[in-house]
Amino acid sequence: MNNYLSLSKILIEIGILWFVYYGILLFARGTRGVYILRGIILITLIFIITKQLGFERINWIFTKIFALSILAFLIIFQQEIRRGLANIGQRRWSRFFLKESEIINEVATACFLLSKRKIGALIAIGRETRLENYIESGVEIDAKVNSELIITIFMPNTPLHDGGIIIAGGKIVASGCLFPLTQNPKVLTALGTRHRAALGLSEETDAIVVIVSEETGGVSVAIGGRLTHDLDRESLERVLSNLYRTDKKN
Amino acid sequence: MNNWLINNFWIKIVSLILAVITWFYVNEELIKEKKMAKQLYKSSVIDQIQTRTSFTESIGQRK
Repeated sequence: MNNYLSLSKILIEIGILWFVYYGILLFARGTRGVYILRGIILITLIFIITKQLGFERINWIFTKIFALSILAFLIIFQQEIRRGLANIGQRRWSRFFLKESEIINEVATACFLLSKRKIGALIAIGRETRLENYIESGVEIDAKVNSELIITIFMPNTPLHDGGIIIAGGKIVASGCLFPLTQNPKVLTALGTRHRAALGLSEETDAIVVIVSEETGGVSVAIGGRLTHDLDRESLERVLSNLYRTDKKN
Repeated sequence: MNNWLINNFWIKIVSLILAVITWFYVNEELIKEKKMAKQLYKSSVIDQIQTRTSFTESIGQRK
């Protein structure tokens, strides 16, 4: 009985640690700090290994670097930490009250109206990975997801029509955002910048990116670095609702 | 359940590895601390006994 209790305690403690690490890694993914975080994790691992192996001098050096890296972590992630703390009480909870079907419906309506008129569009729907870096590259909006608004944003010759919009936490959070272009050499050169940007963002984050082609009016979706071309409204809605639901269950 | 596992699979695995390493590292440090505290306690008790015996001995000699 005692053994069972101590084992469950160990598992709970490891579970709590796992949750914290998972949260930090998810939080850092898609931000510029991810490479620095990798470096810090590597230094920490070397620090622990050298300590276990009894390499005292190397361990001494790493102790100093480790202490410095904590300070560096606080300075480098200053913005992210501040934003993250501010969002703990807001964003996560608001997700439970989202009407996902409404959002999907509005996005699909906007996409197919834009497609009819052959107006290009790029819509990123954020899931677990934070898209703060990309939000910062555009103009913050914080508006309810609405097909009319999406269409208006992508109207040519308007200030915000270049770049993509980001939907996160059930809201359009920014427009005119710049997404990273895919570096995958296997991607067809025939694809335009909009599609390349969609692929790039989907490679770096877990966002669902919907693209409306300016040339053909075709609607495509990029997820995890893969592009699905020429979807009809029904399949777009199905793809979006499946992915959104998967995310919500998590 | 299956989707939950697949989604961000590698981040979950890396987090788990880090969590297990951290747990074992902190556990070892705690054991070391406890050992050290015990040793300190023992040595202080031995010191106290020694001073007490020397004190009672000195009183006994005076008597």
